[in-house]
Amino acid sequence: MEAAAIPAAVAHDDHHHGPPIANRSSKVEPEVLGILLFIISELMLFGAFFAAYFFIRVVAKTDWPPHGALPVEVAATNAVILLSSSLTMHWTDVSAKRGNTYAMRVGIVTTFLLGSTFLFIQINEYLSLGFNPTTNASASIFFGLTGLHGAHVVIGLLLLFMSAVRIFKGKVGPDHHKGLEVPGIYWHFVDAMWIIVFTTIYVL
Amino acid sequence: MAAKLTSPGWYRALLYTVVGIAFTLGMSAGLRAIFNLDPVYSWQSWVTIALLMTPLFFLAGIGCFDYWWRWARGRKVVDDHADHGAHSWRDYFKVNTDHKVIGIQYICVSFFFMFVGGLMAMLVRAELAQPGRQFVDANTYNGLFSIHATLLIFLFVIPVFAGIANYVLPLMIGAPDMAFPRLNALSFWMLPLAGIMMLLSFLAPGGSFAAGWTAYAPLSVHQPMGATFFTVAVQFAGASSIATALNFLVTIITMRAPGMTFFRMPLLVWANFSTSLLVVIATPFIAASQFMVLLDRALGFNFFNPAGGGDVLMYQHVFWFYSHPAVYIMMLPGFGIISEVLATRARKPIFGYRMMAFSLLAIVVLGFTVWAHHMFVSGMQNWIRIPMMITTAIIAIPTGIKIFSWVATLWRGVLKMDTPMLWAVGFITMFTLGGISGVMLAMVPLDIHVSDTYFIVAHIHYVLFGGSMFTIFAGIYFWFPKMTGRMYNERLGKLHFWLTFVFFNLTFAPMHLIGVQGMPRRVYDYAQEFATWNLIISLSSFVLGLSSLIFLYNMIASWRGGTRAVANPWRSLTIEWQVSSPPPIFNFDAIPSVVGGPYEYGVPGAVHAVFKGAEVPSPVPAGAETSPTPATEH
Repeated sequence: MEAAAIPAAVAHDDHHHGPPIANRSSKVEPEVLGILLFIISELMLFGAFFAAYFFIRVVAKTDWPPHGALPVEVAATNAVILLSSSLTMHWTDVSAKRGNTYAMRVGIVTTFLLGSTFLFIQINEYLSLGFNPTTNASASIFFGLTGLHGAHVVIGLLLLFMSAVRIFKGKVGPDHHKGLEVPGIYWHFVDAMWIIVFTTIYVL
Repeated sequence: MAAKLTSPGWYRALLYTVVGIAFTLGMSAGLRAIFNLDPVYSWQSWVTIALLMTPLFFLAGIGCFDYWWRWARGRKVVDDHADHGAHSWRDYFKVNTDHKVIGIQYICVSFFFMFVGGLMAMLVRAELAQPGRQFVDANTYNGLFSIHATLLIFLFVIPVFAGIANYVLPLMIGAPDMAFPRLNALSFWMLPLAGIMMLLSFLAPGGSFAAGWTAYAPLSVHQPMGATFFTVAVQFAGASSIATALNFLVTIITMRAPGMTFFRMPLLVWANFSTSLLVVIATPFIAASQFMVLLDRALGFNFFNPAGGGDVLMYQHVFWFYSHPAVYIMMLPGFGIISEVLATRARKPIFGYRMMAFSLLAIVVLGFTVWAHHMFVSGMQNWIRIPMMITTAIIAIPTGIKIFSWVATLWRGVLKMDTPMLWAVGFITMFTLGGISGVMLAMVPLDIHVSDTYFIVAHIHYVLFGGSMFTIFAGIYFWFPKMTGRMYNERLGKLHFWLTFVFFNLTFAPMHLIGVQGMPRRVYDYAQEFATWNLIISLSSFVLGLSSLIFLYNMIASWRGGTRAVANPWRSLTIEWQVSSPPPIFNFDAIPSVVGGPYEYGVPGAVHAVFKGAEVPSPVPAGAETSPTPATEH
């Protein structure tokens, strides 16, 4: 049984520099799996805030909306902006895999600008709402959920910015697109999350 | 000097920390000026922002982000493994990407906080030695037990398991390192910052954080500044454990050696797989609960303010949705350790290997369905009670499967009762007792009777001390030769076990009695009738505390001058024992191939893994009379 252990001196030698190549035991790429697990974690973070929303609005029966009508049209416009940024993100991704540098550059800049527009509109909406988080618990959860999503947009934009820098420095191409693909997955998550936040906060 | 301040390390970390403190001061003042808040310089606002942001400056200074920063700017990044592996003790104080170095860093830091937290327990017991006030006031007492629990949960039990697994798990599955070594380093370095933040809360005006480790709102919302330290520290500890868990999951899924199917993984790997699932799914909930408390405290949100329509019970739901799975986060890795120790010491295959693995997953799933059993007296809707009582009792089934499987593994084994084995067997008995009081607590009527009494304190210490702590000691003694290349002192190890075992029981068993009689927990004073038992408990607890010094001495002395350990002192089959002690800097020259189960002890010719060049023996059925050629003769 333990005879299978070959002597330690044989298992390695001192002239070896660098680790052995790890065996790949799954078809999933580690980076992609990593970001997917991180997104699961993020979903649960949103889940906790949705739980708070549920308890405040349904269990404690606090008035909703927090103060007057919510600007549904603005938020719906924002949803369209964010969804179209998902499309341009996908286009960027496909262009990177095909090696189309021009499309890749246009795509990432468009995506970044659309995301920034979303953020700009969101901040303007905050300023003209007529209530703030201290108004009541409904207002707190309104700002809690939309603010949490806004923070994710900021993180997503930071990642996109890094991808953009790398694209313009020529570091992204058909063989090197992990640095674009992984932020892209995260960006799609941020966009999809807005649909859920938008539906629960503004529509329901 | 200028070079020291620009290259990663402690000098730059110090510089960046100072810059961070100045930056947050400016940020606080600037934001308050923009929003027309008076006064512009508010120390509360500054401290809150500083707690949130200064750690990031420190982490940048010490060098956690250097590689990513180069990468993000599109610079050329070369992985020359310069920060991989320790060549002197100084390398343990640097950002290092080697999972073995990070494992040791984790273990040492968490044991440091174990001793600090243990010292607080000693102070708590000294205060409780007699009725009436001895030497700390009520608020300090509340702070002591709160920080005691917080440190031991967030800075000891959770990270020490991450540390042990960090060290042995990549070796066990035949991987050269973790999947994301730099993320691994970052997760480690967030940890001491969280611990220091919790300790710093003692210096905060108004005293330390004192709402218990559960930090129920709205109490924690209205606490003095110390509570902000707790709230932010939990964020960093939580981020650290999420990142580590994610790393473990990716490592286990994508980096197993050829032939290492899921059902050939050692149970420690299974245990950490399950734990990591729990961490990734549950930990965001405590992050959210503390974010909400922080928003209520710092910005006047109304999440937990009933006057503004907030829901106080919501805190408990969100908190326990994390913190109940958290008790399994603090136990499942220990289950894995015990399986490793028992199988090698009994020289028998683990009993019911697949059921052991499945019951871990069952605990993961069921663990999410029981959170409200912590809230039977909270005033929540009554109809939630019975379903939660039933699901809680059901968790005893997978746990029971594990206990019986361990006992069946021991059955007719050739037991070697050395130190790791003593801890493992001690664990089985103590954890069973803690589990039984746990099932008792699941029963609504009994729970109502003993809520917030010492019965709860007894239960939690039987499962976390008699349970988790014993498994940690078992694991540390078991892998000590592998980690340090030295053998620990067996005599001192046994003395440590017996002193701990006896005085652990003398400390915590009487708490069941005084708890049932109604002695409330979390109060510095108590009725005269409990005086005798409390004196006995306090005296026992001091011996219990002293016994850990034997452990400390044994570890330090053996690390410095213990006898050299051979590669495989336990004649174990799993891969980490097939390399030298301590393992080579990149673990393997070539990745081993796995050809059989990890626990085939007593099966003639059974082999778990072979290295390149070694012959792969043909599988032999158990009990076969043949004696195949030993694989070493390659």
